[in-house]
Amino acid sequence: MRVATDIGGTFTDIVYIDEKGKVCVNKSHTTPPNYEQGVLNVIQKCDILPEEIKDMTHGTTVVINALTERKGAKTGLITTKGFRDILEIGRGNRPDLFNFNFKKPKSFVPRYLRLEVEERMDYQGNELTVLKEEDIKTCIDTFKKEGVEAIAIIFLHSYVNAEHEKQAKALVEKLWPGIAVTASHEVSKEWREYERTTTAVLNSYVKPSAKTYIDKLYNRLEEMEIKCPKYIMQSNGGTTTFENAKEVPINMVESGPVAGIYGAAMLGEMLGEHKVIAFDIGGTTAKCSLVDGGEVKTTTEYKIEKNARFPGYPIRVPVVDIVEIGNGGGSIAWIDNTNSLRVGPKSAGALPGPVAYQKGGTQPTTTDANLVVGRLSPKNFDMDVDMEKVRGAIREKIGDAYGIDVLEAAMGIIRVANSNMLNALKLVSIRKGYDPREFVLVAFGGGGPMHAAALAKELNIKKVIIPLAASVFSAWGMLMTDLRSDDIQTYQVKLDNPDFDEINLEWKKLKEKAYTDNEKKGVPKKDVYFQHYLDMRYVGQDHTVKVKVPNEDMSPENIGEFIKAFHKEHEQNYSFRLEESGVEIVNMHLASFGKIEKTPIKEIEALPYSLKETVKEVRPVTFEEAGTLDTKIYDREKISPGMELEGPAIIEETSSSAVIYPGMKASIDKFGNILIETGV
Amino acid sequence: MSSKSVDLITLDIIRDSLLAIGEEMFIAVARTSKSPIIYECLDFASGITDKNGRLLTQGNGACGFLGMLTSLVHSVIEKYTKKGNLKEGDLIICNDPYGGGGSHLQDVGLVLPVFIDGELFGYCVNKCHWSELGGKDPGYAVDSSEIYQEGLQFPCLKLFEEGKINEIIVEIIRSNVRLPDMSIGDMWAQISGLRTGQKRLNEICAKYGTQTVDHAIERLIQSSAEFSRSQVGMLPDGVYTARGMMDKDILGNGPFPIQVKVTIEGDQMYVDFTGSAPQTKGPINVAYDGLVSAIRSIFLACTDSSQNVNDGVFENLHVKAQKGSIFNAVRPAAVSCYYESMQYAQDLVWQAMEPIVEKGKLTAGHFITVGAYSISGTHSVTGETFVDVGPTLGGWGAGCDRDGDSAQFCTGDGETYNIPAEVLEAKFGYRVTEYALNTTDAGAGEHRGGYGIILGHEALNEGMTFSGTYGRFEHPAWGFDGGKEGSPSGFDFLLKDGTYVPQRGTGSKIEMKKGDIARMVTGTGGGYGNPFARPAEKVAMDVKNEYVTIDAAEKIYGVLLDLETFSVLGITEKRKKFSEKVS
Repeated sequence: MRVATDIGGTFTDIVYIDEKGKVCVNKSHTTPPNYEQGVLNVIQKCDILPEEIKDMTHGTTVVINALTERKGAKTGLITTKGFRDILEIGRGNRPDLFNFNFKKPKSFVPRYLRLEVEERMDYQGNELTVLKEEDIKTCIDTFKKEGVEAIAIIFLHSYVNAEHEKQAKALVEKLWPGIAVTASHEVSKEWREYERTTTAVLNSYVKPSAKTYIDKLYNRLEEMEIKCPKYIMQSNGGTTTFENAKEVPINMVESGPVAGIYGAAMLGEMLGEHKVIAFDIGGTTAKCSLVDGGEVKTTTEYKIEKNARFPGYPIRVPVVDIVEIGNGGGSIAWIDNTNSLRVGPKSAGALPGPVAYQKGGTQPTTTDANLVVGRLSPKNFDMDVDMEKVRGAIREKIGDAYGIDVLEAAMGIIRVANSNMLNALKLVSIRKGYDPREFVLVAFGGGGPMHAAALAKELNIKKVIIPLAASVFSAWGMLMTDLRSDDIQTYQVKLDNPDFDEINLEWKKLKEKAYTDNEKKGVPKKDVYFQHYLDMRYVGQDHTVKVKVPNEDMSPENIGEFIKAFHKEHEQNYSFRLEESGVEIVNMHLASFGKIEKTPIKEIEALPYSLKETVKEVRPVTFEEAGTLDTKIYDREKISPGMELEGPAIIEETSSSAVIYPGMKASIDKFGNILIETGV
Repeated sequence: MSSKSVDLITLDIIRDSLLAIGEEMFIAVARTSKSPIIYECLDFASGITDKNGRLLTQGNGACGFLGMLTSLVHSVIEKYTKKGNLKEGDLIICNDPYGGGGSHLQDVGLVLPVFIDGELFGYCVNKCHWSELGGKDPGYAVDSSEIYQEGLQFPCLKLFEEGKINEIIVEIIRSNVRLPDMSIGDMWAQISGLRTGQKRLNEICAKYGTQTVDHAIERLIQSSAEFSRSQVGMLPDGVYTARGMMDKDILGNGPFPIQVKVTIEGDQMYVDFTGSAPQTKGPINVAYDGLVSAIRSIFLACTDSSQNVNDGVFENLHVKAQKGSIFNAVRPAAVSCYYESMQYAQDLVWQAMEPIVEKGKLTAGHFITVGAYSISGTHSVTGETFVDVGPTLGGWGAGCDRDGDSAQFCTGDGETYNIPAEVLEAKFGYRVTEYALNTTDAGAGEHRGGYGIILGHEALNEGMTFSGTYGRFEHPAWGFDGGKEGSPSGFDFLLKDGTYVPQRGTGSKIEMKKGDIARMVTGTGGGYGNPFARPAEKVAMDVKNEYVTIDAAEKIYGVLLDLETFSVLGITEKRKKFSEKVS
């Protein structure tokens, strides 16, 4: 048996697969601040024998929580002399153009804890000034006096020569055994000192709390006699060991969300769909990501807290490329100061939540609107829903302002929410040069199945897939992952006349390190496989594109293929190619994977119900164009593979419903997924 | 459902779609451009207007272009549309600073009229900074004395006629600019952005019907105008003035007295620069449309900076300046560094409005200058020639409840990024000696002004030259309500032989020797409130953080501290007196 657990804002999910390939799911409440308790609870809810578990993967929000709640460690920073203010200077950009009282991101380390030492490398990695060890000692004295709990070290050009950072780290550990410390080259080997600084600082900032959490979880699991290998989901779409996660916790920043995207890619592969748009609607946000050729795209351009008006904080570790907007089930509908209806980005969250939750929410949300139009049923909530209150809130806040009735107002909220989500879906597809008509939409999360069909139709997407485990899909995705680590090394070389031996030696070094690291994680050499990427650009450009290149040494014979792959990727991203221009490498990127043995998923068996018997009820549901129609509500728990049905229809399961529009068809495939033909 | 009600929400969705089209047009240009100044610095703007030339939405990477798109389209309407000489498939090119342009020649505007079913529906328009446009110096001249030295001029010409490109214009560009592929590449990037907009407008009209889209446009403009009137209506009626001095230009003329009179009358705002200095020989003049852009930005900052931009927002804003003045320059005034006077004009309004706008919308004076610099030479390792051009970070003013931000680009910039030290060294082959905050004692206040920066560049070979134009070298940022003024922006040199060459504001092509260090040293923003009102614990923390010296803590803030522990020992007599007076 293989098990995956995923902590979300409200629920902690579990998905497990037995030796025969049968998939089971369950949910339990999330238990802040002792999150590990929720994990144990949800395992205990299931019919699982500890000794039968072969491996276990875990997704956690502990890192992102520590960051956004500013509950990390008191961190001290050691920098090259002359550069301690880099963290405060940042990049000087201001997305909030016309706000002349703009507030830039506040540094995570105050100036008195940013200390400088004498040392210097040049941009080629030549030592200009030796590291003055005495300075490190002074730093440690100050940090001890000030009660610092974690330390980050960043020296200029450590991406090309990390020797000084290594020396400094060794000295820190000698002078202060047990202190959490990060040297920047351990988390990022790309140039740009501000980004590397924030990455190193934030890693140190969350290190103590991540360690505490992982240790607690480990011990509790061991107490339960769960002794199998345990992995943690990382933001790069792969997993790592508990030990490694404690060293580089920043790699877990998007632990949960990316697993869903990865899962959508893997589900696509299972079903022979290699072009997938993954679409996840949760309580506060909607996330989407485009998968081409079965592969999730990663980026190191990730920033926390970035939005249209705030620059955020860069974290330069590989994160699956996701576009996220503030539109989820709990997003609040409101009238702006020019009398236009808006939905989100403000969310009622889990507390007070939508009006329907009866926990004090008074602002109408998308979930409330979906109740009013009949797409959600009050009977399908695990709490009492006062529909009069829900209608009242929508009438009062939206209907009255527009002079329309409550049903029209609710429909308006859904239409505006869909319009927002449509823009996000266009961002990952049309605006990046992809034609959505070639893709299938895999929709999951609590709200994905409800909105997907309408959005697919707008985008001219023919097929929507609602996975079997739609509401716990991140955990499902975790069961599909391998161990993954990414080593990105700034290595600038023009490709007009490169030294092939040197480039290949560089790959070799990266690979040897990957073998060693994997061995430490318990992965034998035979189970390690690689994917090579190069961040490349035309000579003279500043920006690069990530290019998947052949997994082989570069030679005069095959260099053409590398360059061809770049031209193609560049054209995809920027709509043109410059065949005449020189091409250069900026970073080498080795993704290494440690293969985990997986059980094939079994086809599910038919249940003893006819299609007619799966109909729970017929209720009025309102659709955008067709108006209010009597609509059959099917029970997903009773429905069997091979069944086909026509819209208007809703397939309902606990905490989610799939909406099938008039004129659309749906069928259940052999794994229990719902396939919707949009008819476009 | 009643048809009226559905319409309102449909109109909202159409409005959102129009905004999304604006964004998509913006991204399309960034994606297709070959110039770093466009795809990295986002030094461009794009938008859509209706058939009357009213701006519906604008995408910006920088503040500076707000209003220039409208004037571009209006120049097309005047020259072609009104005379019945505008056809489907036409595309107009214009960079005339005094007529439709507003900034400098390098910002080239393109306008594409959009026809739906043979009827003029609106215009797609964009304006981008071309890296090269000819003229006396590469990039653009910083010491020009007339427009003819600054590059090629396109006085509102048809680049396309009924779908056919005018090859003569393209040939003229090709033979007059230093990097023709890049400039013509930028032109095509702009065209592709405009065509994206054209395509999407066609789609949206086909989906909802042209009439419904027109309704949505009317509702968008009217509701924005209404909101804007309500915002200005909340400001107290009256006449508010500010005066100032603008630094000398690079040719040595000036300084220049400047002034503004802002009148709030009901829900209307009148901004009048009458009495400001006449235009100067140096390139820091701004034409009227550029002035309007600057004032539109500060208008938004004073009312609601988060709203979507369209011409309805600015219906109640009226800007006046005398023709031939430094704020309303006429041909052949040099305008290549127009942004400096634009920034000063904006700052005057800022200063006049500060006392009356809602607290928290504006800060004390900021360092104002774009701080454009240019370093050129040969790379010390590769031997390749390089030109490193960009803006400089500086200090923003303090707010009513917060210290000013340090190390930001000026208000005229926006989503602009500095270049990291590691990239500078690799790309240009000089050494960055320091990149630090310039923690002077200026800008003191209950809330401190933000700090500028010190960025040192050491020449590692011979032949490196430095040029810079920094405003506010002679006249630092203003403090507010008892806050102290900031410090000057400029650059200085530490020569290898030990000589210190003091800070100055402007200089062109100053030669450096191997081992010499050129330092950009930019100013602190103005303080807000009396320094004696700054809580003693905060001053102690400032000293601990080495933002404020222990000396300044005593002399400026009146706080006595323990040198070792930074604990507060007491306050000075002066501070005591101040506290007594306040209470």
